[in-house]
Amino acid sequence: MGISREGFEKQVLALVGSMHGVARRLTRNDTDAEDLVAETVARAWKALDSLESDAAFRAWIFRILHNTFISERRRADARPQCESMESEDLDATNPAFSIFEQMHQPFLLWFSNPEQEFLDRLLREDLERALATLPEHQRVVVILADLEEFNYREIADTLGVPVGTVRSRLARARGALQKLLWEQAQAHGLRGDGATAGNGNAQARTASTPPAKTGKEA
Amino acid sequence: MTKHEIDCEQALRKIFQFIDHELGGSEREAMQRHLHTCKSCFSRAEFERRLKGKVGGLRERQGAPEVRRRISRLLKTF
Repeated sequence: MGISREGFEKQVLALVGSMHGVARRLTRNDTDAEDLVAETVARAWKALDSLESDAAFRAWIFRILHNTFISERRRADARPQCESMESEDLDATNPAFSIFEQMHQPFLLWFSNPEQEFLDRLLREDLERALATLPEHQRVVVILADLEEFNYREIADTLGVPVGTVRSRLARARGALQKLLWEQAQAHGLRGDGATAGNGNAQARTASTPPAKTGKEA
Repeated sequence: MTKHEIDCEQALRKIFQFIDHELGGSEREAMQRHLHTCKSCFSRAEFERRLKGKVGGLRERQGAPEVRRRISRLLKTF
């Protein structure tokens, strides 16, 4: 065992807020989230021998949290796991959706910047809704990278996947998140040109109609 | 373009690694040199960095007090 009981308690209490935040976003349910954190801590204590070092504590306990979430969900849901794990390869022929590419106007005057205005108008609830809508395998990498500020190695250790998978899954997840934000904004009148919403190929330009607002309510 | 420089396509492929601080020495320097000279890629990097910051702003660091109390009680049983 590389850590004392007191050390374990200290590390857990330092991370309980993060664990609960991640658990809430995984379960999307406050009661389940609280149970998941408690179950994780109990399992972690029993599995203390598998902790390699103090420095690895965070990725180690988040890996237990993620594994516990997966196993609890499987137990609760007898159906086979059928969430699409679409191709995670990103290349020139299969780029991720980008709000920037939809909005950027290279020849606009310097004081006009539609994509930055889009960000200025993004509300917390827009982001919460889009994040909650992402499929779980994408949601979890965004949560770990952007909310918990894990590096790619830690995310790989937490999820038990190679670093390359983290890299491609994160790029795919951010593209999907941007597409959801884009569609929400369109649904609330970002653009007035009647073009098809968020198909990833639309030449959506807002030069004459800079963003009026982004979505407030679905 | 020398072997130490990258073009826009290469820069965009590594843009997330750049904003996530996952590029090492020479790759990071090559990216920084490209961003100094390419307004479009610079704007893209700024956009992605700001969006990442906005997503990161959703984090709640403390957690609900009742969860802390429950975990504190649980820890005392070990």
